[in-house]
Parts: sequence; structure tokens; C-alpha cells
Amino acid sequence: MADLTTKYLGLTLRNPIVIASSGITDTVEKLVEMDKNGAGAVVLKSIFEEQILLEADHKMKQADKNEMIYSDYSETLDYIDDFVKEKELGSYIELIKEAKSKLEIPLIASVNAVTSSEWTGFAKQIENAGADAIELNIFAMPFNFDKECGENENTYYSILKKVKEAVNIPVAVKISPYFANLGKVIKGLEEAGADAIVMFNKFSSPDIDIKNQKVVHADVFSKPSDIFNSLRWISLTANRVKTDLAANTGIHDGEAVVKQLLAGATVTQVATTIYKNGPEQIIKMLGFVHDWMEDNNYTSIDQFRGKLSSSESANPETYERVQFMKYFSEIR
Amino acid sequence: MENIAEYLKAERSQEWRDEIRKSMKTKLRLEKVRVEMSEEDPNVRNTNNIEVNSGLSVEEAVLEAQRCIDCPTPTCMTGCPVGINIPKFIKKIESEDFLGAASVLKDTNGLPAVCGRVCPQEKQCEAQCFYTIKLGKPAVAIGHLERFAADFEQKSGKIAVPDVAESNKIKVGVVGSGPAGLAASGDLAKFGYDVTVFEALHEIGGVLKYGIPEFRLPNDVVDVEIESLKQMGVKFRTNFIVGKTASFEDLKADGFQAFFVGSGAGLPRFMNIPGENYNGIFSSNEYLTRVNLMNAADPEYDTPVHSGKNVAVIGGGNTAMDSVRTAKRLGADRAMIIYRRSEEEMPARLEEVKHAKEEGIEFMNLHNPLEYFADEKGMVKSMKVQKMELGEPDSSGRRRPIPIEGSEFILDVDTVVVSVGVSPNPIVPAALPKLEITDWGTIVVDKETMQSTTIPEVFAGGDIVRGGATVILAMGDGRKAAAGMHKYIQEKIRAN
Repeated sequence: MADLTTKYLGLTLRNPIVIASSGITDTVEKLVEMDKNGAGAVVLKSIFEEQILLEADHKMKQADKNEMIYSDYSETLDYIDDFVKEKELGSYIELIKEAKSKLEIPLIASVNAVTSSEWTGFAKQIENAGADAIELNIFAMPFNFDKECGENENTYYSILKKVKEAVNIPVAVKISPYFANLGKVIKGLEEAGADAIVMFNKFSSPDIDIKNQKVVHADVFSKPSDIFNSLRWISLTANRVKTDLAANTGIHDGEAVVKQLLAGATVTQVATTIYKNGPEQIIKMLGFVHDWMEDNNYTSIDQFRGKLSSSESANPETYERVQFMKYFSEIR
Repeated sequence: MENIAEYLKAERSQEWRDEIRKSMKTKLRLEKVRVEMSEEDPNVRNTNNIEVNSGLSVEEAVLEAQRCIDCPTPTCMTGCPVGINIPKFIKKIESEDFLGAASVLKDTNGLPAVCGRVCPQEKQCEAQCFYTIKLGKPAVAIGHLERFAADFEQKSGKIAVPDVAESNKIKVGVVGSGPAGLAASGDLAKFGYDVTVFEALHEIGGVLKYGIPEFRLPNDVVDVEIESLKQMGVKFRTNFIVGKTASFEDLKADGFQAFFVGSGAGLPRFMNIPGENYNGIFSSNEYLTRVNLMNAADPEYDTPVHSGKNVAVIGGGNTAMDSVRTAKRLGADRAMIIYRRSEEEMPARLEEVKHAKEEGIEFMNLHNPLEYFADEKGMVKSMKVQKMELGEPDSSGRRRPIPIEGSEFILDVDTVVVSVGVSPNPIVPAALPKLEITDWGTIVVDKETMQSTTIPEVFAGGDIVRGGATVILAMGDGRKAAAGMHKYIQEKIRAN
């Protein structure tokens, strides 16, 4: 009988399917549903630094419009952003506490930060509330005509180091692929103490509506073909760093899970497929992985994890180039 | 609005106003320089509780009143939340009818001696004065004159007790004896109601007593106003928490027909940063209440307050200024304001900032606390402070404070007072589950009548509705609510 048990972030997961931080992980009810349908772990919806700032702005506008409240520029209004933060963070802490009391599976909290100063205190509260780990979702937009690449990368290291100093629970870092040298950054994050790297963040992308001539949001859902970027980087990274690796984006079925595990992923994170097919999709995916393992005579995931990673090659650049040449030379 | 304009025009055309206006040419009036109110020596006053501002003399008041040109359209009034007939009371002062001036003030403002001291006139009436908006010169000192007239009346011993209607024997309750409650109770008494004010603390006056120090608002000034209400028949019950000592249902069973809730915003807010629970770290509410109401500054009393030599006060509002100046008076060597924005963004009145600086208060603007550290007994001994810079303006137009990475340093402190705002008192909303409240815990009311949107016999005003209001706005709410309650009760009687 195939055993799907997986170690991720030092936690024992019953299988390698983790529900990614998204709208399907924002209430206790939804989380319990994921648990019931067999998820290995859940990552809570992110609490966004900017969201808090925006909420504070919204409150300020409300106060301005509604003359019955905060009619003067008082101390209370002066520090309203602090109170909004406290309130938002308080709700998040409550969500962790309640979810933790109802879930059988590990609970990973997710913090989406753009600066390092705000989050260390909060990370401690997350730990105290009972989260089993933290996923730091860091995104510093790599678009600045004046900044050097290193400055952007240092933001990541700085946030991670501060959070690591503040807490004893494991910390994963969810990154974007937009780095000049991703390999070096992953190594840097490992040195800064990352217990896992999650590849990659799925950003909302802009699209243009030509009928109304305005900028709109592109479809936020991933497509199965989106898997290839993380598959490549998992494959390139596996066995070259000691941190765990979580594959994300475009993992829609059991086959995709197996592919990522073969490439070297410790776990896979899914969201779009659950949105589209419901939590029962987890059971189907697990069924596929289980049957595939049985068919291939694997009794544990470790037996095949990373089997097809590029780490067999001493020089990944050459490995990539060889793949490239092989592929294109075959196209006539 | 047209009626008000007509009323003001008629008032301005009265013979005595005409005479006094014509007694001096406008050009001469405009040439006069605004009088400065004398103040106690900063190095003396910062060691005691003597009132900082000494008030105007009769001569000074008349001179200042002469500056007012008695505009046909008095823009100053648009800046007053309760619509005091400002030119009329000023011209009464010019004609040396000081009691008459006080009477004009009391037509719309039950606590002129208080408002003359604590209203932010520079942001209200004086900001709309002809001198300010048209000439770019210092405004007529409306606040100083208001205080003068009110003090004159108080000292004269001829305090006019407003007429009250014959008692209708209908009981109404007022929860809280702060400015909103006092204003509501005065007007309700005038309508003939049997008014009882319930006060949770042992002293009447609410924030006027516990929140504002003696050196800015002497308690006896407030007491005179309270005495006036007592003479009008208003009853006061202290140490009585409505919702705890007795429920609203108990009071209704006792015959109370309607309630005005003016329970204020006495719930302190903290920053939730590490170490904030150490001993020696207070909310400004606690610190000021202990000193102002409980004689905590006297070590012989049972409830002394710990006030050290290095005191940091966090915040930039009036309460922060009151706290830091109190700390100085309690003997601090270093009394410091730690504020995360610059002086320009401070919510405190300019006068309070000026006074604080004169008294030797240190201002550490663009600084924010990150963490507190304690000694082995749990007493705060130092704090980690981070330097800030100002970023882009937020939706309110104020520039957002942004931490400067790596700028943290340790500051020795033995007392910290956190003065970063307050939340509405939660007791009444907790006692009345059907009461509609906002996300912020404020009671939702109809803007015209101040009646609760969900419980018709409950009216509310002041900080419990506004989150943060000036004394004068709270009083305006109290008066509006009294009118709303009167209408509600009378309609109910007619319907039955």
C-alpha cells in the first residue's frame, strides 16, 4: 500500500497536497472542508500589508464623509491606521485560533509583506495563536529605474531574517520568478534561514479591454500549462539546497502532482483546481497519486521524489542548454 | 438659513449695536493689535498646577472687543459648531455690558467658561474671522473674549440661572456628566423634565474633570457650571454605572421615559507593541485620571501614581500635551513627546504645543516606539525607538510616517504614557444589544434628532457617537438630543 506521508517544514503531512493561500482558505468552514476532503495541510489566506494601509485610508475617507464620526482631527484619527492594523491583525489571529481548534491537519499562516518593519511583532502573535508555520509572501516589485538588483533581493533577506529571529516555528518564503539570478536568491534565502521555498507566487496580471479601452484584471486562475515554470525551477533547485520546496501554480490534477514530486518538490500547492472542481478534487488527485505509486511499485514518496530533477547534471546551465538544443533540433 | 440671516440682520440693526459700531471708525478698529493674554512664568508654572493663561483684564477685553468690526455677514459664526452669536457678545463686551455678553453666550453654549479655555478657536471661529480670511492678520481673540465674559459672570456672583419650565414630572436619564451630558441635562431641565444625570466616577464633569488638567481648566470653573444645573433642578448620581449598577430596564421600571447617552470615549487604546504591559506604562486616561481626580500626585494618598524622572509620552494630540506637561509638574527631569509625524501634522492645539515647549518639554517628532524593556521587577526601564520619515500623503492629506530601517535606538525611560487615542465606552452598547453601533463602537443616531436608529427611547451624542469630538461639538450634540427627546416624548404623550 502506497504511503503518501510527507515531511514539510518539519511537520508531518498525511500527503503532499497543500491548499495554497487563497480565497478558499479564508474561513474556518472552508478550511475544515479542505481537511475533510483529505488535504495534507492548509495555508491561510494572506494578510496583506497594503490591504491594511488601504483599509486605514478607507476609514479615513469614511470619517471625512460621515461628519458624525471623527469630526475633528483627533489623536484617535491620527493613529487610525494603527487601530485598523490592530483590528485586521486581531481578526486574523482569531481565525488562526479558531481554525487550529477545529483542524486535524497543519495550519500555515501567510503574511504578504512589502517592508520588514511591520511584521516581526505580528509573526510572534501568529506563533502564539497556534499556527504551525508561517509562509512569508514577499513581493517587492522588481521595477525601479534607480534600484540595483541587490537592493530588491536584500528586502527579501531582511524580512525573512527578522521574522526568523522573532519566531521558533518554521518559516517558508513564497517568491516570484522575477530575479536576475534566481538560483543565487534561493541560496541566499536558504542562508537567511528559510525552511522552505514556495515557487511561485501567482500574481494578478493586467489586461486591456479594447472595447472600453481600459485596464482590467486578467484571469487570476492558473492554467495547467502554467506548471512548466515551477516544474523547471523545482527540477533545477531540488537536491541543491537543503530547504523544502513547494511547487505552486498550474497543478490541476494528480498527474501534475506526480510530475512535481518527480522533479523534486517536497509538496505541491493547489488552488485553482479546487475553485473550479470543489474540495472533492483533492480526493481525486490523491487517488491518482496513490494508484500511480502502486502501478510503479513505490511504497513511499521519498522513493521517487527528485528522481527526474536536474541535479543529476553537475552543471544545470549545460543541462538546460542541452534540453533546449535537443528540443529545437528535433523540430523541422 | 435665510431666517438666521434675517435674525442676525435684525439683531445687528438694534440701536445699541448701531451706536457702538459707530462709536469708532472701522479704520481705527483695523489698526489695533490683537491683545496677548498674559501667562504665568513657564519655569514657575511647570512646578505647580496654577492655570497657565491668566485671562484678560477689563481694559484688555474692551480693547480687543473694539477690533471686531461687527461684519454684516459674520463669517466667524460659520466656524462655531453651536452657532454662538459672536459679534453680539463681543459688542456687549465693547459696551461694557459683561453680564449681557455672558448671557448671549449662554443662549447657545451652557459652558462658556470651559469652551473659552479649551475650544480650538484657531481652527473654528477665529479661522473664519474677517481678519484671518480677508486681511491675513491675527483674528479677533474670540476665545479669550468668551472666557473673559464667562469668568466675569462667575466672579460677579450674579450667575444667571436659566429659566426652567414648570415641572412636567416626566423622568429622563442622562448617562455621563461630560460636556454632552451636561448640555443635554440643562436643556431638558429647561423643558421641565425631571432630569437625573448618572455618573460612573465619583466626580461630576466627565472628561472636563478627569481628562483636562487643572493648569488648563481649573475644576472650580466646571463646578460653577454644574452648580447652575443643580439650581435648575438637575439631579446627579455619582458612582453609578448605567448598565452595571442598574440596567436600562431597571431605570425604565423606575419611571424613566427616555435616555441621553453621553458616556464618552473613555476606553484607552494602546499600540500593541512588545512590553506594553510592563509596570510604569500607562494610558493617558489612567495617568490623567489618577492625577486630576484621585490626588495621585500626593504620595500620602492611597492611590499614588508612578511618575518618573524620564517620562515618554506617545502621541501628538492635546491629551498627549496634557500628559507630558503633567509629568513635568510631577517632577520629571526629561518629559518627552514621542510622535511619529512632524509638528505640522500634530493634532494638538498650537497653543498647547507652544506652552509645552516653553515649559521645557522635549519633542522627539518623527520617532515611534517599537518595544519596551523592563527591569527584574517588571518596571519599564527603556524603550526601543525608531526614526521615521514622511512619505506620500494618505487620503486625509497627511503625510504617512514611514520607518527608517536601521535607525532604531534605545532610550532610557521610567514612565511611559500612551496617548494614541481612545475608543467609545463599551458599557452602554454592551448593555443594549439591540443598539446599532458602527464598526468602531460608536452609537448610530439620526443626525438631526440624535435618536438611536434602533431604540427610540435612547438618544446619544458626543464622543460615544463621534469617536472623538471637541467639547463644543459634544455640547451641540447634547442640545440637539435634548430637543429630539422633548419632541419624542411629547409625541408619545399625544399618541396616547
